[in-house]
Amino acid sequence: MLKKFSIENFKNFRKSICIDFEKIAGYQFSTDCISNNLISKMVIYGRNATGKTNLGIALMNIYDTLSGRSRFVREGVFLNADATEDWATFSYTFQFDDKELVYQYARFSDFELRSEELIIDGNIIFNCNFVNKQFNLDGLKYVDAETANVERYLQALNEGKEIDGEIEPKLPFLRWLISNIALESDSILIKLYNYVERMAMITANNSIIYFSGMYNGSFYKSLEKSENLQDFEDFLNEMGIECKLELKKLPDGQRQLYFAHEKLVPFFESASSGTLALVQLYRRIVSIAREKSLLYLDEFDAFYHYEMAKNVVQYFKKKYPKCQLIMTSHNTSLMTNRLMRPDCLFILSSEGTLTALCDATERELREGHNLAKMYVSGEFEKYE
Amino acid sequence: MNDYMRKVRKRNQSLLIVEGNHEKNKLYWLLFHCFPEINIRMDDIWIYGTNIYMLYKDIEKQYGSEWGDSYEDIDLPFVISKKQNLELLRYKEDFTNIILVFDYERHDDNFSEEKILKMQKYFSDATDMGKLYINYPMIESYQHLKMLPDNQYINRTIPVSLQPGKEYKALVREETVIAKVIEVPHKIENLLDERFGVCEEHMRKKCCKSILDICDAADMDNKIQGILYGVVEDANLQTAKYQIKDIIIKLGYVHNGQTYWNYMRSIFIQIIYHNICKANKIQNNQDEIEETEIKQCFEELDLTEILRVQNMTSQDAYTGYIWVLNTCVFFVPEYNFALVAVI
Repeated sequence: MLKKFSIENFKNFRKSICIDFEKIAGYQFSTDCISNNLISKMVIYGRNATGKTNLGIALMNIYDTLSGRSRFVREGVFLNADATEDWATFSYTFQFDDKELVYQYARFSDFELRSEELIIDGNIIFNCNFVNKQFNLDGLKYVDAETANVERYLQALNEGKEIDGEIEPKLPFLRWLISNIALESDSILIKLYNYVERMAMITANNSIIYFSGMYNGSFYKSLEKSENLQDFEDFLNEMGIECKLELKKLPDGQRQLYFAHEKLVPFFESASSGTLALVQLYRRIVSIAREKSLLYLDEFDAFYHYEMAKNVVQYFKKKYPKCQLIMTSHNTSLMTNRLMRPDCLFILSSEGTLTALCDATERELREGHNLAKMYVSGEFEKYE
Repeated sequence: MNDYMRKVRKRNQSLLIVEGNHEKNKLYWLLFHCFPEINIRMDDIWIYGTNIYMLYKDIEKQYGSEWGDSYEDIDLPFVISKKQNLELLRYKEDFTNIILVFDYERHDDNFSEEKILKMQKYFSDATDMGKLYINYPMIESYQHLKMLPDNQYINRTIPVSLQPGKEYKALVREETVIAKVIEVPHKIENLLDERFGVCEEHMRKKCCKSILDICDAADMDNKIQGILYGVVEDANLQTAKYQIKDIIIKLGYVHNGQTYWNYMRSIFIQIIYHNICKANKIQNNQDEIEETEIKQCFEELDLTEILRVQNMTSQDAYTGYIWVLNTCVFFVPEYNFALVAVI
C-alpha cells in the first residue's frame, strides 16, 4: 500500500505537499477508514481552486511514468508558475509486506525526466541523473536484476528521436527494467507495478462527456448477461436511484439501454447528471473484476444528493476495505464522525497545505463533535 | 467601480452567556490568558448578560415550549440577537464556542428543577448548540479552596439556608487562598490608575501585562523600572516600582522562573483537579481517584446527573445542603485534557 506521497513545484503546489497515510490518531470509531494501520478512506475539502484536482493528477503521475500510458498529459501547465527551479519532484513511499519501497523522480515536463531513484529498505537500488548522464546501478542485485542489459537502455536513451516534431517521452529506467528482465512473480518490483496499474482517478467533470455513447460498447455487451444487468440495476437502486432497466439489441447490431416504463426511455439521453456520475463509477470501478489499489474520486459527489454520497462511501468501505480511497468533496454532510474520523478528513488550503482536522485545532476532537458545524463556523480557519 | 464586494463574514466567534457579573468576565479573561492554546481572541468574545430562567423564556418564545424535543436546533446567537433587536442577526454557524455560565440559585423565585434540568441536558456541546456550566452554589466556588491542596474540599457543602449572594461570597472571602492570586492583575492596574494616575487604559493594561510577564527575580528593579519609565511620573517612579515589586515577590513565583500567567495556570490546574474529584464524588460517591484514571473519570462526568443529585440533596429548605462545585472551569480540560495534564 501507499504510505506517503509528496510533490513539489507541480502545478499550483509551489512548496512540498504530502499525503501521509501513516498519520493516524487512534480514534476508536469509524475504524473502517483504516486498513493495515494506514488511512484507507479519506475525504479532502478545500475552497475552490486550491488544487484538489491537481493533487489527484499529481498522485497519478506514477501511473503515467510506469505504464507509459499518459492520462493527464498536456492538461495545462506542468510546472509551478512561480517556481525558480525548472523541474517538479515526485516521491512515493510504499509498504509491500515487510519491505519499504521509495520511488522518487524529478521531471522537467510530462515528457522529460531529470532524475530517478529507487530505494528499498534504505538501500539505493539505482539512481539516474539524466542531465549529467550519471547512472548508479550498483544496487540492482538487491532486486535480482543485476543481469539486466543496461547498455541497451543507455543506448536507447542517447538515440532519443523526434517523431513528427514531437519529442518522444524519455523512457524511465524503472519502466524499462520491469519490462525487460524476468522477475520472480513475488518480486517487489512486480508488486509495485501491480499496485500502480490498479490506481485510478475519476473526476466529475468528465463524466458527461464519457457517456456520449461511443465508450459504452463493451459495457453494453457485458449487460447482455441478465445477472450483470440485474447487478447494475441493484447498484443504482441501492445507492438511491429507483429504476428498472432493459437492454435491447437493435437491428443494426448496436445495443441500447432503456429505463423500462410503459414506453422505453433511452437511458443515457435521459439519465440525470447524478445518475450518469454514478454509472461512471459503476462502469469503471464496480463492474470490473480487478480491484483498484488506489482510487482518487475527484468531486465524486458533485451531482449527488447528500444521502447518496453517504451511501456510496459506505458501499466502498464495505466492498473495498483495502482500497485506498481518496475523495474530494464540498459536501460537508460527509464531514461526520459517524462516517469518517478527524484524522481521515483533510483541508487543502490555497497555500498548498493539507491538514487533517485533528491537526487543524488545538481542541481535542471527540466522537460527539459536530465536525461539519465546526468547519463552517471557522474552527479550522487557520488551515483553510 | 463594480459591486462585487460582499459582506465579509466574521466567524470563529465565541459567545459567553453569563449573569452579567464582572467576576465571571474576569474569570474567563484570566483563563484564556493562562491557556493561550485555547485560541480565543478577546475581541471575538460576545458577552451577554442574563439569567438561566430569562434565557429559558427567550428560547421558549422563539421555539415554543416543546423546544429541544424535536430535531430542531436551538440557535442561541439568533435568539439573543433577535431579542436585542440587533440590525445584524447572528447565527451559531459563526461561533466556535458558546458557553453558558449560571449560578445554581435554588432561591430564585423562578427556580424550576424541570427547567434547569432541561437546559443542562440540551446544552451539552460548546462547539455546537452551546454548553451549560452550572456553578454550585455560585461562580465564586472556584475560589473556595482553603489551602492547596485542600483535602477537605471534596466534602465541602453549604446549607441551603445560607442565602447565596452576599452570604456565600462573604464565606468564600473569609476562607479562600485563591483570591489574592487571582486579583493581582487588577490590583496592579488599580494601583497604576488610582495611586499613580496612569489614566490611559491601553497603556495601563500593556504595562500590567509586561510586569506579569517577568519571570526572573534577578534584576527585577530595573525591569519594572524600565516598564514604568515614561508611564509613571518620574517623581513616583521609585515608589511605584517598590510597591509593585512587593506584590510580585510576595507570591514567590518569579523565584521559580515562572511568569504570573504560568503560575496562575498551575493554580487553575489545581482548581480543576479539585473540582473533577469533587464532581466524581457527587456523581459516584467515590472519595479518591487514581491519578492515572483522572482523564477517564473526567470524560465520564455527567453534568445532568450531578444536577439531579444537587436537586435532591438541597430539596429540604432547613436540612438540605448543596455540594460546593465549580463546573465552569471544566471548559479547559474539555477543550483539551492535555492542557491540564500535570507534566
